[in-house]
Amino acid sequence: MSALDVRAAAPTGAVRVRRAARAGAGEWLALAFLAFVVLAAVAAGLLAPADPLAIDPANAFDPPSLAQLFGTDESGRSIFARVVHGAGTSLLIGVAATALGLGLGTALGVLAGLGGRFVDFGVNRLLEVLFALPGLLLALFLIVIVGPGTLTTTLAVGLSTAPGYARIVRAQLLTVRAAPYTEAATVLGVGWWRKLRRHILPNTLAPLLALGTLGVGQAIVWASALSYLGLGAVPPSPEWGAMLAAGRTYLSTAWWMSVFPGLFIVLTAVSGTVLGRGFQRRTRSR
Amino acid sequence: MPRTSRLPLLSSALLGALVLAGCTPSGGDGGARGGPGGTGEPVAGGTLVYASGDAEPTCLDPHVGGNYPQALVSGQYLESLVSRDSDGQIIPWLAAEWTEAADGLSWTFILREDVTFTDGTPFDAAAVAANVEHVKDPETGSSTGYLAMGKVTAVEAVDARTVTFRLSEPDSALLESLSQPWVAMQSPAGIARGIDENCEAPIGTGPFVVDEWVKQDSITLLRNEEYASPPADAAHTGPAYLESIVWRFIPESATRYAALQSGEVDVIDNAQPDTLVAAAGEDGLTELNAPRPGSSNRLELNSGKAPFDDERVREAFIRSASVDAGIETLFFGTAERSYSPLSSVEALAHAEPDLFGYDLDAAQELLDDAGWTQRDAEGYRVKDGQRLTLEFPVSTNQSIPAEQSLFEQIQASTKEAGFEVRLSLLDLSSWYAVLAANEYDVVSAPYTKVGPDVLRILYSSSGITPAPSGYFANHAQVSIPRLDELLTLASQTSDPDARADYYEEAQTIVLEGFYILPLYDQQNHYLLRDGVRGLRALPTVSTPTLYDTWLAEG
Repeated sequence: MSALDVRAAAPTGAVRVRRAARAGAGEWLALAFLAFVVLAAVAAGLLAPADPLAIDPANAFDPPSLAQLFGTDESGRSIFARVVHGAGTSLLIGVAATALGLGLGTALGVLAGLGGRFVDFGVNRLLEVLFALPGLLLALFLIVIVGPGTLTTTLAVGLSTAPGYARIVRAQLLTVRAAPYTEAATVLGVGWWRKLRRHILPNTLAPLLALGTLGVGQAIVWASALSYLGLGAVPPSPEWGAMLAAGRTYLSTAWWMSVFPGLFIVLTAVSGTVLGRGFQRRTRSR
Repeated sequence: MPRTSRLPLLSSALLGALVLAGCTPSGGDGGARGGPGGTGEPVAGGTLVYASGDAEPTCLDPHVGGNYPQALVSGQYLESLVSRDSDGQIIPWLAAEWTEAADGLSWTFILREDVTFTDGTPFDAAAVAANVEHVKDPETGSSTGYLAMGKVTAVEAVDARTVTFRLSEPDSALLESLSQPWVAMQSPAGIARGIDENCEAPIGTGPFVVDEWVKQDSITLLRNEEYASPPADAAHTGPAYLESIVWRFIPESATRYAALQSGEVDVIDNAQPDTLVAAAGEDGLTELNAPRPGSSNRLELNSGKAPFDDERVREAFIRSASVDAGIETLFFGTAERSYSPLSSVEALAHAEPDLFGYDLDAAQELLDDAGWTQRDAEGYRVKDGQRLTLEFPVSTNQSIPAEQSLFEQIQASTKEAGFEVRLSLLDLSSWYAVLAANEYDVVSAPYTKVGPDVLRILYSSSGITPAPSGYFANHAQVSIPRLDELLTLASQTSDPDARADYYEEAQTIVLEGFYILPLYDQQNHYLLRDGVRGLRALPTVSTPTLYDTWLAEG
């Protein structure tokens, strides 16, 4: 993907640049939603003053109303408060896991791309082995060894996404190294270190910003999936995936218990993807 | 899913208003029901599809290990020496009559005539001896049956139809123990094939025969055409009505219920509270509520170590745990609060509701008295720098979602008194490991057994020491000489009144010592499609028997 993107970037007309730079309504909506999620993560108490752990069995299974925006769960806890308070956990896992995956992936990719033939060969074989295992399986494997919990989930998702990033970084690096402007720099006698710093690395890593935005959405989905399976956040902590799993039992009678956390998982992932694509389009057209 | 399947159910409702007239949820009596509306003549033939939500057994021979999933299915192909009727009286099954010796140290059973195992081996005294030997053989790895036969030292075949059990000490629970599916009778020739082969298809005297077991999918059972040994309380004699049974495993609750609604299966077990409520609103579905015997479902407080070695702390925990409202909402009124260590189906169950009222102020006072006077920043009580933390391992295999939610509510309400309850959801083997390592303060581990003798297994001090297999049942680690004495006396007396008195005093000691927090009976609900008639739960361990069951047309 990335190799083609970069090559296509060369011929650009003025019209195309302008269209790409203008953010559409979808992007604004995505940005607004993410802003809400980030605000919830930073200052949950501001948006939902109710205690997400406070039980009230007498008011269990209340459907959404003005008093309880998203209804209540089986113990009478406010779903809205839980979704808002859960944003921090979900977002933190998403961002930390992606940062871990990207960081590790970049290190491996750069090592492979610059390390010479033998290092490249070694790293590539390692990546191929890791690729043979589906990412989620790799995450499950790590959790079985270390035990469930939020930190483990973050590590597991992060490590499982690293091989994908590594391969993209390596491919990008090889393309940039062979690009005309890099060759021009070589011909002009620019030093190796300076060439790496000024030309190769910036052009390799810029597209990663877009990838990272896409990755956060995916990491949140993965982390939720692990929590859904009971391998992530521990009860009764308000984590979106765990809430979804708890609501599953009551799907036919209290749909709001799983619909709202599910909606937040989907919307966060979609918003991340929409913004990520936007970034990608812009870096491509620059 | 419920919406889409309304249509066929609605049409069947219109077609058979007569049939529906007889469709009311049955109580816990487990009695056989005839067909409603004058169409009650049983029809032979057909295949019934049963969907179990319990774990798939790893071995179909209930002598090996001995758990409830095994009992559910083995009741269709294996039978016991005696059974129990809905009044709790022991009634004849494979044994026609029995007498206890005056000293209580031996029991003699006269076996039923003309019974053969489905492989042609005659059922006789030698077969009974071989079965007890099999259960007691360490190679078999029996835990439930092994405990039930604990006092049996020898089984002698006097003649073909007379068999004598010799005991190390009198056992007032012997008949109750023998009524359980975990000591059911199997063909000695079948046992002789070795554990691996016998596990695949045990050979019994039951109304059905194991035909095929496709792992992770289903067990197919075929009718035993020669069948002639129903228990004394069965509704008919001769072979079963059903031609075959497909015994499926559908662990996911919603999927199981959807399969029942669509008519893909005829009977489901482990119906969850929300499912029961949904089913009550549907036409064409009937509930069978059959609480399990033995212990009630209760939290056991580990008195063997701090902080629960202090009775005041135990009482404070129980006083500050608010459970009534939770049981009401989480179980939608399908479960009744219990105040006894024993199941409500046990005639000798003794309840003390006054001990279990919610009282936060009393709990706070008790904790202050016990020296837990400080609070840390998070509001938990602290003593000598130690936080008042309780480890609560929960086996996900053995508790339903509603129950796990109830535990979360207990966690939240006891927090107000300053307890930090740490819930950890564990798979079965990790859960056993935590128990064996004594790394728990609160645990829920219901025990199913016929009769009040379950108290001896759960609260006798000998139950604290793990068996060689690592299993122990006295999770509350109760060790009281008087209690041990009472439980021994109760298990040895042949006087029913004295037995009742001993058990009442024993239960009072357990309840007043705040070793347990009783919640409700071990829930056991079945849902049947309307065309299924004559299905009942055996009053022994409340497993279904499909012997009297038949399928009505339409």
